[in-house]
Amino acid sequence: MGKTLAEKLLANHTDDGKATAGDIVEAHIDLLMVHEVLGSRIIPILKEMDFKHVWDPKRIIVVNDHWAPASDINSAEIHRRNRNFVREQGIMNFCDVDCGISHQILPESGLVAPGDLIIGSDSHSTTYGAFNAFSTGLAATDSALILATGMSWFMVPETIRIEVDGKLSKMVMSKDLILLILKDLGPDGANYKSIEFFGTTIDNMDVGPRMTMCNMTVEAGAKCSPMMVNGYVESWMKNVAPTRKWTSTKPDDDAEYIQNLTYDLNKDPLCPMVATPDNPTNGQSVIEVSGVPIDQAFIGSCTNGRIDDLEIAAKILKGKKIRKGVRLIITPASRETYVHALHEGLVEIFMDAGAIVTNSTCGACVGGHLGVLGAGEVCISTTNRNFRGRMGHKDSSIYLASPATVAASALEGAITDPRRV
Amino acid sequence: MIVTRNLTNITGRAWVFGNDINTDQIIQGQYLTILDYAEMAKHTFEIPRPLFASKVKKNDIVIAGRNFGGGSSREEAPKVLLESGIGCVIAESFARIFYRNGFNVGLPLLIAPNAAKLVKDGETVTVNLVEGTLTLRSNKDIIHGKPVTERILNLLSAGGAVQWYRKTLGKR
Repeated sequence: MGKTLAEKLLANHTDDGKATAGDIVEAHIDLLMVHEVLGSRIIPILKEMDFKHVWDPKRIIVVNDHWAPASDINSAEIHRRNRNFVREQGIMNFCDVDCGISHQILPESGLVAPGDLIIGSDSHSTTYGAFNAFSTGLAATDSALILATGMSWFMVPETIRIEVDGKLSKMVMSKDLILLILKDLGPDGANYKSIEFFGTTIDNMDVGPRMTMCNMTVEAGAKCSPMMVNGYVESWMKNVAPTRKWTSTKPDDDAEYIQNLTYDLNKDPLCPMVATPDNPTNGQSVIEVSGVPIDQAFIGSCTNGRIDDLEIAAKILKGKKIRKGVRLIITPASRETYVHALHEGLVEIFMDAGAIVTNSTCGACVGGHLGVLGAGEVCISTTNRNFRGRMGHKDSSIYLASPATVAASALEGAITDPRRV
Repeated sequence: MIVTRNLTNITGRAWVFGNDINTDQIIQGQYLTILDYAEMAKHTFEIPRPLFASKVKKNDIVIAGRNFGGGSSREEAPKVLLESGIGCVIAESFARIFYRNGFNVGLPLLIAPNAAKLVKDGETVTVNLVEGTLTLRSNKDIIHGKPVTERILNLLSAGGAVQWYRKTLGKR
């Protein structure tokens, strides 16, 4: 029986070169990303472990992204601990509060390559699947053990095969596609599983929109979601890591899948989608929820804060004003994204439209700062989770949508189909 | 430091929940910068059960439906349950990262079908993690769950992954 992508990628990191779905394997980690959880939780665990040195200071990246810059005294203390740890341990890759969101920074820095096994102390670490990597989120204790040993154990996942063919129509984005897929899978439809994406839509998709899709597979419980390398990934790697050697991994033709889903976007064109409160799997056509009044519109996060997301928002907002009484907050995913948007004139378009453009941070998405919701408030957001209380007060509501839908809704002050503005 | 737990007789009152209790319902993102777990635990289940933190007793048992602990990778979720005194979480299914985190921090978890439907909120129940059973005190009904693997029992007996590391890998 042939091997899936997840099986092959994991097998390439075990001592005996073996990994079959259902096995428990010990694997060597190529890169570990830790963020604020290092200072708040991992460092105390390391003390309990009598830890001395990290296993490899080149294979670790520390990012201060969730509350950047510090939103309160506790987060300032956490950042301070992270800076000290980086210095004491000689860690080579450090992004302080001026950098941006980890899941954007790692690929931008050339730290993600096809074939890699990457662990992050963050559930959205599935994002790197866009680059043909096996990547998943673990938490503080597992991260502490990896910091000490460079190894972790994994149950090799079974795989769901998803094929998507055809073109996305105008103002329809990869966010809409993943919201549709999540709706079909449900909140635990991919629990413990790997998702492999195939088809012309994925083959022809640029790196940014691919990252959006892989980012959100965890909302159906997926462990990882490796995609195959395409031309966009090749040129991305040439640009960010021209000297780095990598090989692309493909699944075998006779690989075994536990479930197959297929989407033909030419036959059944996709509408812009909106996930209603309180679960990302509550996707509906935007037509069903059009007209719901909003207090805040948010464009940003590791899901949809990249340059292509800002470009489509700017296209919709150019020369217009957002509805009075509505806040539009735009948080570019990284400093590099921010500078790019400045050079393209997007920031000026946003400011003219009445938006607030913040520094790069996870910020509002985790209910941290720069866009926290009050009681009874409604937000339409390009982020990945609309759990009750996620962005602030327990009695606030979050609708998830694409940057196009969020920008259009900010103009109207209510959920709006971006194809109509 | 976590002491070695008795895993064959965990007896306490049931706190019954529905499906898809995600990590924000267990502990909201706004509390994650609190550095002291005892302080953070005062906000456990604040959204779905606002009185939980003030009423919970040592060895109480959380019983839920499908997909308990989905969402964030935050280890704070099983940690605040442990800090609150919860003796075991029983669910029809657990989200991947929560399941791993639970055992890592030394919180017993049991996968058992229909427990959230059969057990009444507040009822006293006994869990035997080694046999994978849940016994209702009222009528002595036994719900059979999926016994945990030996690897996980070893982890729990050691008091979590850090203690296990100290006993094994750390000595290498």
